[in-house]
Amino acid sequence: MTGETGTESRASDAALVARIIQRDESALAALYDRYSGMLSSVLNRILRDTQAAEEILQDIFYQLWRTAAQFDPSRGSLPGWLLVIARNRAISRLRRHNPASGESLLENTIVLPATLESTIAQQQLIGKVKGALDNLPKEQRAAIELAYFEGLTHSEIAQRTGDPLGTVKTRLRSAVETLKRNFKI
Amino acid sequence: MSGTHPTREEDFDLYALGALDGDEKVAFESHLASCAGCKEKLAEANGRIAMLAFAAPATLPSPGVKERLMRQVAATTPEINASSARIVPESSEGIFARWWGLLLPLAGAFALAALLLWLHNGQLERQIAALRGTIQEQASKIAQAHEEAELMSARDTVVVSLAVQKNQPQGTARVLYNSRRGMLVYNGRLAPVASDKSYQLWLVPMNGAPISAGVFNPVSGEMNSMMVKVPAGIAAKAFAVTLEPAGGMPGPTGPMILVGPVS
Repeated sequence: MTGETGTESRASDAALVARIIQRDESALAALYDRYSGMLSSVLNRILRDTQAAEEILQDIFYQLWRTAAQFDPSRGSLPGWLLVIARNRAISRLRRHNPASGESLLENTIVLPATLESTIAQQQLIGKVKGALDNLPKEQRAAIELAYFEGLTHSEIAQRTGDPLGTVKTRLRSAVETLKRNFKI
Repeated sequence: MSGTHPTREEDFDLYALGALDGDEKVAFESHLASCAGCKEKLAEANGRIAMLAFAAPATLPSPGVKERLMRQVAATTPEINASSARIVPESSEGIFARWWGLLLPLAGAFALAALLLWLHNGQLERQIAALRGTIQEQASKIAQAHEEAELMSARDTVVVSLAVQKNQPQGTARVLYNSRRGMLVYNGRLAPVASDKSYQLWLVPMNGAPISAGVFNPVSGEMNSMMVKVPAGIAAKAFAVTLEPAGGMPGPTGPMILVGPVS
């Protein structure tokens, strides 16, 4: 994003990952500039602790440096991986668990419905996602946020809010259905 | 559910969200282990759910994170084994000659260390200055991103598609306009122009002369994006892009390349 040189800002994620495998530190710096803001935002939202968020942020990029060779672009986009890993680690920290399984660069495939390599694309997505959430009924939005940003399951949300489990399930089902329609890009 | 596909499509998103628990989660996972089709659906759901991250308020990490990361990375790169300096004792037999033999290399080492520290300090100062610039640039881009996000999600923002005019080079553009906020965002792709020309975006009001909303010179193949503030409360009839002398004109004078009426 910002801080990248003109050449770096045009380089694709896959090209930068290939350079990281060749131990090119400037490629890691370029990917950091491109995605650290996006990851910092979600880490801070989940943890509400700047120091913890920054520790995890550094650790994620260091993991990318160490294990870039494991990254297979055919199994998903890099920002998708980074976002899932960031969320898993932050929620694990929040709930004092060990890092969740599924954060390895080799496991679950993630297909983002949009490319995020440019600042414009990221900005457009911010608008789209915020708009979609704003249009959800208040209770549905609250349930989605409890699940995504606090890592709560159906039952835990019901316990937290005092709502019947069936109601929580219906709200979350309706919310993900609506978001699925709205996130088609 | 094991052995049969999940009966509800939302299960993929709910699983990606981490909301399923108990028997529902166990049944979903046991089916997933043996179903390639459902793994593909889950990959898409993982992507959709990952996008929820963009609902988080934008924050920036402190510059120290990148510095620490790059130091950590540098520490793990293969290091060139510095050959240890070997001091050959002088053959001089006099005590003064022996002291000089010890002191001179030490003085040299101190001088070299001082020079290296001075150079390193200069390098650090340049890095700090560059980082300050980066922070300011990032802060300004984040602020712009926020404004754009708010504009895009506002209910009274209109989206105007601009169509290329007859006998003009290919191009496409879209304008998001909010008259209450007096703000518009232009995103478009147009062919590059000669160095003595520029494209100019115009807001055509219901009444009165067109208002300039920005001048731009696209680079080949790249999307141009700009956020422009205009006086609030202007009812727009259309948006247009004309080709003008470099730097733009107070009013449109050149050929109209793109036009889009506000519906």
